[in-house]
Amino acid sequence: MTQEPTADRPRIDAYEKVLGRALYAADQPITGLLHAMTVPATIAKGRIEAIDATAAQKVPGVVRVFTYEDFSQIKTTPAARGAYGQPGKGHQPMTSPVVRHRGEAVALVVAETLEAAIEGAEAIKVRYASGPFSARMEDELASPEAEPDRQLSSGDAQAAFAAANHRIDVEYLHPQQHHNPIELISTTAAFEDGELRIYEGTQAASAFAGGLAGMMGMDPTRLRGVSPYTGGGFGQKNGIQEQSVLVASAAALLRRPVKLVMPRGQLFHTASYRPRSRHRIRLGADEQGRLLAGLYETVQQNSRYDGFACDHGANPPRMYGYRTWQGSDRIVRVDTQTPGHQRAPHEHPSSYATECAMDELAEAVGMDPVEFRLANDTQNDPITGKPFSSRHLAGCLMRGAEMFDWNRRRREPGALVADNGGLIGLGVACGSYKGSMTAAVTTLRLFASGRCEIATSGHEMGQGIRSVIAAELIEILDVDPTKLEIRIGDTGHAPQHITAGSWGTGSVAPAARSAAMKMREELSALTGAPLSEEPVHVQLARTRRLSLEVTVNTIPLGKDGQVIEQLRRGIPSTTGPEYPEFMAFSWIAHFAEVHVETSTGRVRVKRVVSVADCGRVMNRRTAESQVRGGVVWGIGAALREAGETDPRFGGVLNNDLAEYVVPVNADIGTIDVDFIGEPDFKLNMSGVKGLGEVAMVGAAAAVVNAVYNATGRRIRHLPIRIEDLL
Amino acid sequence: MSDAHDSKIFEVTRRQVLEVGTIVSMSGMLPAAAQAQGSVSQPTPENGATVRVSFQINGQPGAMEIDARASLLDMLRERLGLAGAKKGCDHGQCGACTVHIDGRRVASCLTLAAKVDGRTVTTIEGIGSADALHPMQQAFIDHDALQCGYCTPGQIMAAIACVKEGHASTPEDIREYMSGNICRCGAYVGIVAAIQQAAPQIERG
Ligand code: FES
Ligand code: FES
Repeated sequence: MTQEPTADRPRIDAYEKVLGRALYAADQPITGLLHAMTVPATIAKGRIEAIDATAAQKVPGVVRVFTYEDFSQIKTTPAARGAYGQPGKGHQPMTSPVVRHRGEAVALVVAETLEAAIEGAEAIKVRYASGPFSARMEDELASPEAEPDRQLSSGDAQAAFAAANHRIDVEYLHPQQHHNPIELISTTAAFEDGELRIYEGTQAASAFAGGLAGMMGMDPTRLRGVSPYTGGGFGQKNGIQEQSVLVASAAALLRRPVKLVMPRGQLFHTASYRPRSRHRIRLGADEQGRLLAGLYETVQQNSRYDGFACDHGANPPRMYGYRTWQGSDRIVRVDTQTPGHQRAPHEHPSSYATECAMDELAEAVGMDPVEFRLANDTQNDPITGKPFSSRHLAGCLMRGAEMFDWNRRRREPGALVADNGGLIGLGVACGSYKGSMTAAVTTLRLFASGRCEIATSGHEMGQGIRSVIAAELIEILDVDPTKLEIRIGDTGHAPQHITAGSWGTGSVAPAARSAAMKMREELSALTGAPLSEEPVHVQLARTRRLSLEVTVNTIPLGKDGQVIEQLRRGIPSTTGPEYPEFMAFSWIAHFAEVHVETSTGRVRVKRVVSVADCGRVMNRRTAESQVRGGVVWGIGAALREAGETDPRFGGVLNNDLAEYVVPVNADIGTIDVDFIGEPDFKLNMSGVKGLGEVAMVGAAAAVVNAVYNATGRRIRHLPIRIEDLL
Repeated sequence: MSDAHDSKIFEVTRRQVLEVGTIVSMSGMLPAAAQAQGSVSQPTPENGATVRVSFQINGQPGAMEIDARASLLDMLRERLGLAGAKKGCDHGQCGACTVHIDGRRVASCLTLAAKVDGRTVTTIEGIGSADALHPMQQAFIDHDALQCGYCTPGQIMAAIACVKEGHASTPEDIREYMSGNICRCGAYVGIVAAIQQAAPQIERG
């Protein structure tokens, strides 16, 4: 099999983006558009007793005020909100007078202009009967589930732990976090050409046909989800949003197109988020530093009414050669909106807890943290005993240590001092993310003119998926990238999968590649001879055909043709990490250098080095960017981000970008990235594993471990702030 | 843009607002899709108290009667069909809506449309074209200073201003003076490198 070395090409859609021409959902030019604004609930739980819309209706330009009485026909089905592929009862705001979380919409004002809609929304008066609630898992009415979501074990970990020479028993707390993609979540619904088009920045355009149609009692084939560009998703846009069906229903009732751009302050209460979690970890090692036992118990918040499993225990036992393991993950129900997948949803918090614990254990054993990890490397999964499809974590650690000049690290905290007197700390941590794939339907059309069109499954949200598609077509067909049209994120062109879980590249690369190979076969059948070195379109032109089209369904390893039907219906169906013959993961090692000002406690991350094993690298330039982005997220998690829930009112207090602090340019120093670049052909014909999420896994732990190395302080909650270090 | 000779200011009434859209669209600044569909965002009636504003936008004269509550961002996006400037917060906290007024960068979400009366506004649509990218646009491509691209128009407008303000001589300065523009995708390393590449070209120009 050929192995293309990492190509370095400009991101194929960069031109559109720098020219400001890429049209995101709320940018679509639509004639006769009406504007909507939501009225958020000011209680966390209870019932609406009365809504007074008199004043709102008098605002000039207000066309209509909708309340639950207008939307009681909306059905809430298990698949309704996507429910992240998990069973859930679901709760759709504005279908009854019941309020189940603070900030959910209780009225929708539609007007001729945005200004009128906002004024109208502000004029709505709502009387509530509020009930008792708890919005945090520490609070009185929070309800722990009786049964754990997951329990993984191998051997007698309790006994092995008790007998270990070196033991640590620590608890780490991870806060609630909010994705905050810069594109505000929005919905525009318009009847065009006999179908209802939903323009929404999403990672799941098919969820509209699959979920929204059911909610509205519509024929799914008459609903089209359109999201060619998504302005960042990070998992927050992987299902139907709370407002989607409300806007669609308003457009249907008014017979006019309606647009709603959700205010960011409301999104902290209506969109998903990373739930708060607690992690108790016990690790035991022998005198030589061999890991004898890992015991890992986690709890995580969830809403009262949806499935979002606690899954922290999935990856940590796969990181090292644990002789024994015991894990359990449990959820606690509270009165908030449903949390969801946020970049490396469980892998990030669990890597934070367990990789910091590894640093603590290395210290206890008296080993260098890199040496300690290398000494416990494994090529087999300790839980199932299966081999990994590929694992170059040791290579990541060794290459990273060299690039980072890890040898300058001193075991003694605070031993390295900068010129300005600041304390220098160096830290390391590792991460993994499952190697997943999903089905795709691809249509490739080659024109004798040289033009080439491809329509396939997948969404572009910054990861560079168009560049991946282009790379495969260029490699197999040598098409001209300037004559290439890539249609994705639109159910009008191809069925769309939920693009998440780092399976985008692993699914779209084989899809594009196999379509390109089929094109060569068909073309050669048409010409009646093996293809020559001439450009394919010239060979096609010689057959006197204007164009040639092929369609390919790609079915991921371990699945059958049923997945195509599921894909068409918007039902998620993915593989991994466990396959019949092996376990598949991407791997990464991060090294962080922090400087801590002794007088202020301020932490600066001067440099990060990250080396990833993600299989074949499709585009070196976009891949490096993706890793840097993941590292920025790790830095944000380590030092900045936390949603502060107010236990008295059940809302997020810091619900804007001034108070929910994310990294800005001045927070970020040097980030050097490298790749192992070994293709994993066991997983797919393109040799790719995922990258978008593994990029973040372990990054926060590397920063926290560096802070320890600088200050000697083990801070076991995030984010680490100035007050923790004074 | 090269239409500086066309200095006629069109005074229009509410009924004529559509003409403003037409003028703007002929200048080639609209997103390609808008032109293709021939559906420049239809003007909706202005509902509240209105004010009359006339301005230069991307080298073209324009004028309209607009809701006194409207922000410059909503004027650009919802009335003029210039969707390059993005809404990321509507509170002056993210920088996605950055445009230039009389050459200075502003958060257009925090600027009332009424304030641009008599001013010159430049948006991402007005700094370069597909055939002749602005050096900053080219530098963003060269250094992959973007991912999802949503913050990018604001970053580029802020970056050009950052150079013109004289705040692009060191990486530290660039980081500091570009910190009003959040990139959640985390393209900061590329953004700093892009500005370092483009700064000398812009200063020379
Ligand atoms: S939209 Fe104006 S600063 Fe965020
Ligand atoms: S490129 Fe996505 S927010 Fe900057």
